[in-house]
Amino acid sequence: MKRIRAVIVKEFAHILRDPTSLTIVFLMPVVMMFIFGYSINFDLKHIDAGVIDLSKSETSQQLVKKFLNNKYFILQDLEENHPPTISPMETGEQLLKSGELKEIIIIPADFSQKIKDNRSAEIGIIIDGSDSNVANLVYQYNELIILDFISGIRGLDEMVKIHTKVLFNPELKSAFFFIPGLIATLLVMISALLTSLSISREKESGSIDLLFISPLKSPEIIIGKTIPYIFVSLIAGCIILLFARFWFGVPIKGNLLVLLVFAILYIITSLSLGILISTIAPTQKIAMFITLLLTLLPSYMLSGFIFPLQSLPPVLRAISRIIPATYFLKIIRGVVVKGAQLKHFIPEGVALVVFTTLLLAIASLKFARDRRKSK
Amino acid sequence: MRIRYLVKKEFIEIFRQKELLPMLFIAPMIMITILGYVVKTDVENLSIDIINLSQNKAAVRIINRLQQSPLFNVGHVYYENRDNVDTLKRGNIKAVIIFRDALEKPLGKDSPSRYPEIQVLLDGVDSNTSAIAAGYFNGILKNYILTDLRRWGAPLPVETKTLIRYNPQLRSINYMGPGIVALMLTIIALFFTSLSIVREKEQQTMDTLLISRLTPIEIYIGKAAPMAIIGFTHMTIGVLVVIFWFQIPVRGSLLYLLLAAPIFLAAILSYALLISTLVSTQQQALFFAWFSMILFILLSGLFTPTENVPGGLRFLVKINPLAYLIKIIREIFLKGNGIEYFYKELLALAGISAVILTISLLNFKRIVSR
Repeated sequence: MKRIRAVIVKEFAHILRDPTSLTIVFLMPVVMMFIFGYSINFDLKHIDAGVIDLSKSETSQQLVKKFLNNKYFILQDLEENHPPTISPMETGEQLLKSGELKEIIIIPADFSQKIKDNRSAEIGIIIDGSDSNVANLVYQYNELIILDFISGIRGLDEMVKIHTKVLFNPELKSAFFFIPGLIATLLVMISALLTSLSISREKESGSIDLLFISPLKSPEIIIGKTIPYIFVSLIAGCIILLFARFWFGVPIKGNLLVLLVFAILYIITSLSLGILISTIAPTQKIAMFITLLLTLLPSYMLSGFIFPLQSLPPVLRAISRIIPATYFLKIIRGVVVKGAQLKHFIPEGVALVVFTTLLLAIASLKFARDRRKSK
Repeated sequence: MRIRYLVKKEFIEIFRQKELLPMLFIAPMIMITILGYVVKTDVENLSIDIINLSQNKAAVRIINRLQQSPLFNVGHVYYENRDNVDTLKRGNIKAVIIFRDALEKPLGKDSPSRYPEIQVLLDGVDSNTSAIAAGYFNGILKNYILTDLRRWGAPLPVETKTLIRYNPQLRSINYMGPGIVALMLTIIALFFTSLSIVREKEQQTMDTLLISRLTPIEIYIGKAAPMAIIGFTHMTIGVLVVIFWFQIPVRGSLLYLLLAAPIFLAAILSYALLISTLVSTQQQALFFAWFSMILFILLSGLFTPTENVPGGLRFLVKINPLAYLIKIIREIFLKGNGIEYFYKELLALAGISAVILTISLLNFKRIVSR
């Protein structure tokens, strides 16, 4: 224990000697959080839609009004606002092409007559499908509004009752989804970056030989070099969390202590990943490259941070299971947004412990091998 | 053509860094292939649980439809109520759908309680997925009821004919794929170019370059040219991958891309060289490159629409060259628009390029003349 402590003290001295890096470590997450928090937003605030109402009847106006009253749609009457030289339809097509309209709704002339005669009336809708995600939402909103309209006419409401209740995030704010995820991705990045430089720095300066010839065992060096950074990362993590809570107003519904336990575990896993990289990379530059590549892409793309895991092909889903961020993401979303407890995330916790052990073991083995070679 | 020798030297230097070569040539290819599969925002295979407390046959039929739908992945069907909030808290199940028998008796023959009462509990954390899931479910239910109605001889009052333009199958890769090529180009150009001048500073070979007969502008171009060539190669391969591997249709003319890409590369390369002249170590260069890269990507509209970026940060979108390139590349690939639809973006991109290039070049000359 005493020997590990010596390594810890030495590593702390390294950290404190370099206040610039320390400032970057604390400041970077705040800046990133700020920019991420504002720029990542999937909320569809308004859908620009053009309407061509050829029926001009009371019934068709009722339908138009349903679209108008929906907060998502901003309607534009194409028959009133089209240049005299081209038809409303062509105007709509052009606006769709330039991206000013997301959809065109066409109500045919016989619309109200058909409904009156108890026949099927048709509505034509043209959606800009280029952003499939937006198009999908637009389509779903259309269907909801039209279903509502049909219910109004046919009294479907009387026949079937659907109560939809959105739990945890009733206003469907995407910040509740992204901000906790952001904490997970930022934490792994900072933590891994910190330790990835620690051994490669000694390699570059040549002081690694001093470590090699010391009486310390390899695992002791590896663990001693990891421990000081737990505090640094934890402070950075707390800053991020405070920022999420008070700046972005994401409520923390669960137990703060549970969150802290898992956060420390996750930080240790991330630090272990960094230390493993550090034993492999010959220089700090390469260590940095590998870390940025390994933490940025997988934890952004394959952890469920932005893209839903269930749509991944099986091979990538398997890869997502060996990424620590996948597990912590689930935990932090659960605890912060849903108020989940310790018992809900036992398997995830175990996974993180297994990762940490494996990473530290491989790092120690690699370090020990280099040590033998240097003799 | 003294520049040729410098370009040759730069190429040699790039290829001498053995550890970085895989990152320069293999990583981008892996990235584009993996990203192509990952960037699916399509909602499918949503895990749901069903609780059926209804005696109604309609409930069973609706559940059948849900089980057959590729959109949902029905985990369990329970016949007694459970702690659903707890299930949702774990996060494996995205929604629980509960069928109950309506309490009220039907009023008369015309308003039959043929349908069970349905309660949908949604995990709202992923707001996007929840909204789409709710829509899917309503769609399945509506379809069921409407076929039922048809069987009873009542036609639908309103039918919608929806036509989807530009991307009729709503494949998200069609939207994301071309953008990823732009993303890859940015990453490669930014990282590797940002090292080029500071490396010479660190190795103290900068002075050798300076006392040579090359003018500062020649040195500048000599530093940028190799990465421009590598960047172009990557872009070509990337475009081929998205077209042939991911089968993304190209509706417009790729010639416009050949027009936009050099302007964009000029902006990125001169920005990277600016970083490289200002920092003092390669590590700092990497850090700044990485930080700028995140800004470029996030504020580009690649993953999330830029319309949502609030006012204060809007100007960052306006000066982001990647945002313009992605807009242009999508117009070309998806909509097949001609230059009349994006000449404004092209001009803006050229303007930004010119400004960055001027600042970067002036700064380089200032440093060099010292």
